[in-house]
Amino acid sequence: MEKKKILLVDDDIDLLEQSKISFESNGYTVVTAENVDEGWQLFQNEKPDAAVIDLIMEEHDSGFILSYKIKKDNYGKNIPVYILTSATYLTGYKFGVSTEEEKEWIYCDEIINKPAVTEDLIEKIDNYYLKKEDLNK
Amino acid sequence: MNEFKTNSRIKVLIVDDEKSLGIGIKRLLEKEGYEVRLTFNGTDGIQLGTNQEFDLAIIDLKMPDVDGIIVLEKILGKYPNTICFIATAFASYETAIESTKKGAYGYIPKPFLPDELLYQLKKGYEKRFLLMEAEKWKKEREERLLEIAFEKTRVLTIINSITDGVLVVNKIGEVVLFNPAALKYLELDELKIGEQIIEKLHPQISSLINKLLNSDLFVIKTYSNQIELKPNHEFFIEATSSGVFHPDGSFAGVVVVLKDITNLKKLEFLKSQFVSMVSHELKAPISAVYGYLKLFNDNSIAVSHEQKKNFINRSQLRLDGLIKMVNDLLDISRMEMKSVKRIINDIDLRDVINNIFELFQADLKRKNITVEFNSFPDLPYIRADYEEMNRLFTNLISNAIKYNKHSGCIAVIINSTEVYLVVEIKDSGIGLKPEEIKKLFLEFFRAKNEFTKDISGTGLGLSIVKRIVDSYSGRIEVGSEFNKGTTFKVYLPLLYKEIQK
Repeated sequence: MEKKKILLVDDDIDLLEQSKISFESNGYTVVTAENVDEGWQLFQNEKPDAAVIDLIMEEHDSGFILSYKIKKDNYGKNIPVYILTSATYLTGYKFGVSTEEEKEWIYCDEIINKPAVTEDLIEKIDNYYLKKEDLNK
Repeated sequence: MNEFKTNSRIKVLIVDDEKSLGIGIKRLLEKEGYEVRLTFNGTDGIQLGTNQEFDLAIIDLKMPDVDGIIVLEKILGKYPNTICFIATAFASYETAIESTKKGAYGYIPKPFLPDELLYQLKKGYEKRFLLMEAEKWKKEREERLLEIAFEKTRVLTIINSITDGVLVVNKIGEVVLFNPAALKYLELDELKIGEQIIEKLHPQISSLINKLLNSDLFVIKTYSNQIELKPNHEFFIEATSSGVFHPDGSFAGVVVVLKDITNLKKLEFLKSQFVSMVSHELKAPISAVYGYLKLFNDNSIAVSHEQKKNFINRSQLRLDGLIKMVNDLLDISRMEMKSVKRIINDIDLRDVINNIFELFQADLKRKNITVEFNSFPDLPYIRADYEEMNRLFTNLISNAIKYNKHSGCIAVIINSTEVYLVVEIKDSGIGLKPEEIKKLFLEFFRAKNEFTKDISGTGLGLSIVKRIVDSYSGRIEVGSEFNKGTTFKVYLPLLYKEIQK
């Protein structure tokens, strides 16, 4: 199996560095960006197999914007995109993509509470591709 | 009766064409302490009796010019409380009846004995006294009624002018009283006194009323609800209901007071927003350090010695930033609570700024930044707290260094106008994008772009600057061009007077 490439976007360079090391030690190739524009550029250039995006960066909804762009893209609609947030603790708002209504305006595969465990993310990504293979069979 | 006598003597008018008799009566009455006016014909009698009010009048029935009955009528027409006696030598049953009909109090047949006359007058005066008292009470009562009516409209006027809504319902849920503000808060176009209201109200308000209507009658309780009439904090009211009781303590109904608390709610929201923002900012460095520690401890991940050293450096940096942020937050909260006692002195801002540059010598050298510091001669002192001025300009100058380019420059000019001391701090740094300028003074805002990546900061420095400037009733202006530099202009009023708490 060839190495999967993952796009990490977070404006906290330390968290970015830590996730990068974590994913790399699990056999992934990692590309990192610190904001929406950088992330979008990198996505187009690198064509990653998955994207993990922090929700709150330069704006409170930066993560939603980037994941929306990726999911609207012809290539991007076929890769898993996860949004990381600690917003539930902060605002009491619960985000999710479990209802149809939410799926209409939030374009991502899952919203995951911080701190995210790398192993869990890897499992989710693997499952995504396994399901896809099943469907193709 | 005595009350009258002490004030003035009893006034008697005598109208009689029989001169000797008139004079005789006058003498008799004056001896008894009466004040007497005497006239010998009817015409003068009318004039005297209608010009001023007499307590008593003795009028002869038969006079050559005017009949005594006419004189009686005229006087009573003007002063109905003057007690009049008709005196006559031609006493007859008919004339007695007629004069009584016309309002005479007594009828005195001539000739009469002095005691008889005095007795009659005394009786007459008692009657007058009673009449006067009755009139006085009547007048007082009318005045009081007027006052009560006035009081009632006054209370209504006051209730109608209150900006809070007032609604009173009786114990069967009918409207008894309401003011215009109540209509607004109840979102009703009209209300009629006497109509059933409970069903028409917002369910949270009707429940407040029902709680009291259905409760134990003698329990005095107040219920309160905060109700969001329009979403997104646009219109919030607080409804408070309490029982109204009759003077005997029995339950009469419920009064509901409706208050607009939109602004309060907005503040509350801002406050919790601030708290969540602070938590987010505090959490970030903690998560970062926690993450490094986890990597350290994870044996499955191969980390080089160099990397480990970097983890420690980064953790230290993040914790350092965390401590600074907590300090800044404490400063802000002290400013908010105004718990810092200001020590106001005459301060030469040149000293303040020179000292700050002195402190930053090492940083300036490292970045090779040149400083130009000019101030106009005869610069006035400013009345302010030294620590606050130091904090204000330290934050601005440290920004000018931090966000400057290598081999850049900083220019500080102090100038003064009639009202202000103006300090201009200009740097040749990375500058700001227009959308960044707007957010510059917000808590935790930090411009994020390719230049600022490696510059640490709490995002509170300029927010503190703004607070200090505002607290001196000054203002701060900012001009900037991205990649060229930023200029801050601080205006501090020279006439700043500390408001004594």
